[in-house]
Amino acid sequence: MLLESLEVHNFRNLQGVISCGQHLNIIFGENGQGKTNWLEAIYTLATTKSFKTARLQDAINFDEELAWIRGTVQQSAEIRRTIQVTLQNNSKTLSINGKKEAVNRYLGQLYTVVFNADELEIIRGTPEHRRKFLDAGIVGIYPPFVQTLADYNRVIKQKNALLQSAQENEFSLEKTAEMLEIWNEQLVALAARIHKARIRYVERLQGVLEKKLFQREEISIRYVSSLEGKGDLSDYAALLTERLKLRVQAELASGYALLGTHRDDLEIQFDGRDLRAFGSSGQQRSALLLLQIANLSVYFSQHNEYPLFLLDDIDAELDYKRIGQLLEFLSDKTQTFVTTSKESFVEKFGTNANLIAVEKGMPKTHEN
Amino acid sequence: MLEYSEPVAKLIDEFKRLPGIGHKNAQRLAFYILRRPEAEVERFVEALQEVKQKIVFCSICNNLTDVNPCVYCTSPTRDRSIICIVEEPYNLVAVEKTRSYKGLYHILHGCLSPIRGIGPDELMLANLLPRLMPNNNEGVEVKEIIVATNPTTEGEATANYIARLLKPLGVRVTRIAMGMPVGSDLEFVDEVTMDKALSNRHEI
Repeated sequence: MLLESLEVHNFRNLQGVISCGQHLNIIFGENGQGKTNWLEAIYTLATTKSFKTARLQDAINFDEELAWIRGTVQQSAEIRRTIQVTLQNNSKTLSINGKKEAVNRYLGQLYTVVFNADELEIIRGTPEHRRKFLDAGIVGIYPPFVQTLADYNRVIKQKNALLQSAQENEFSLEKTAEMLEIWNEQLVALAARIHKARIRYVERLQGVLEKKLFQREEISIRYVSSLEGKGDLSDYAALLTERLKLRVQAELASGYALLGTHRDDLEIQFDGRDLRAFGSSGQQRSALLLLQIANLSVYFSQHNEYPLFLLDDIDAELDYKRIGQLLEFLSDKTQTFVTTSKESFVEKFGTNANLIAVEKGMPKTHEN
Repeated sequence: MLEYSEPVAKLIDEFKRLPGIGHKNAQRLAFYILRRPEAEVERFVEALQEVKQKIVFCSICNNLTDVNPCVYCTSPTRDRSIICIVEEPYNLVAVEKTRSYKGLYHILHGCLSPIRGIGPDELMLANLLPRLMPNNNEGVEVKEIIVATNPTTEGEATANYIARLLKPLGVRVTRIAMGMPVGSDLEFVDEVTMDKALSNRHEI
């Protein structure tokens, strides 16, 4: 897939059209001019969500009622589609070639992978960020997984509500156990599917991880089940069933579902050390980048094409040496969008790139 | 100060209590009623009252009915050895539309949902177990219970609960299959349904 052009109206401070290059696109301009907003617009066009706000309507430019983002996407040599996200007051409409589409039909027209400061939470943040990172990757190659995740979360919610009402009404242990079993059966089936999918995805990531992209350091990842050390993980469903039976009392006492894939984590090591605790800021950024590149590669192995790669404020996150290695690596692969405010960046990496100068939200495209 | 005179405001408030009706719709309905002839409004009022006065739960299957027991439970032509359990009366209607199911029904009027405070005691299950005894079923032994609750996590949990309740009694408990809607194109089926249909495939 290739984003050929992007037209934006009233999305944040943006206005106008940019035409996109097949490989590297550099969006540059002073701070506060709207460079990141352009990346956000591409991300929103792809996902119908924002990476900045939970309420997408907040992205409508101040004092305006209507905003839209429209992109021309080349799906194959012969197929070009115009896709559009329109925001109006409280509504969001999606369309392909001018016809309204439901979200599940719309998604998948454009697929993006993002590298920005917020994404560093994958490395530094709570395990939830790492589980989400894996889940998003899995959904990219196997869309029905969305439903598995939704069902699992629903079961956990129901189970928590049950445990809390059992506490309030002082249910006996036997009665609680009996009531829990009804939900635990689904929990085990769904957790087993999630566990298996994540293990496989981590294996696939591991298989394509460019361990040596930045020379010296070596990165390794491992899926860590919360049941590790509790028994035979090769029969996850049986182990989880057994543990759930043993832990009824603990779950009742805490009022929360304590066992399942919502307690798992992804361990990321750099040169054999836990990155979260020991990694320098630069190492953490490198690791995130390597993970996102692995994501791109897994997506490629499934779909035979690369997603768009969006890198925000790349020179704040990485030094020029690493950026050089990265761009070199990506050059024949992804359609890449980077933002920078540094002239020196444009001078160093701008040759052969599509340059998009941004001022007060408006683009001025230069071809080099 | 009320936006409208009191009787109108009151009517709007009542309409707003209905599921799926917001403020704007309630206003529209209220003004529609105001513009209708008196006789038509009386007919509407009567219909509302009648439904409350005449409709009761069937004492056997909990269906909504104006004769107790309901027409299904008293029908001489239906197969009394099979009971199909559904969540709501309109689910019964959906099964009935097939015209191929000839057994009896049992309506739960809900599904298990701890979030909404619905446990087994809130479901209308208490009168199910007695039905399994031939004495209470015109001498016919119930051989199969079909659980046709919705394919949601709550529907599944409810099915699971019922299975645990009934299996020890030796009755056969089955769950309706999930998969492809008939008459539609493969292309238009969402991935999750397709996935279910593939894993529930059968030999031909």
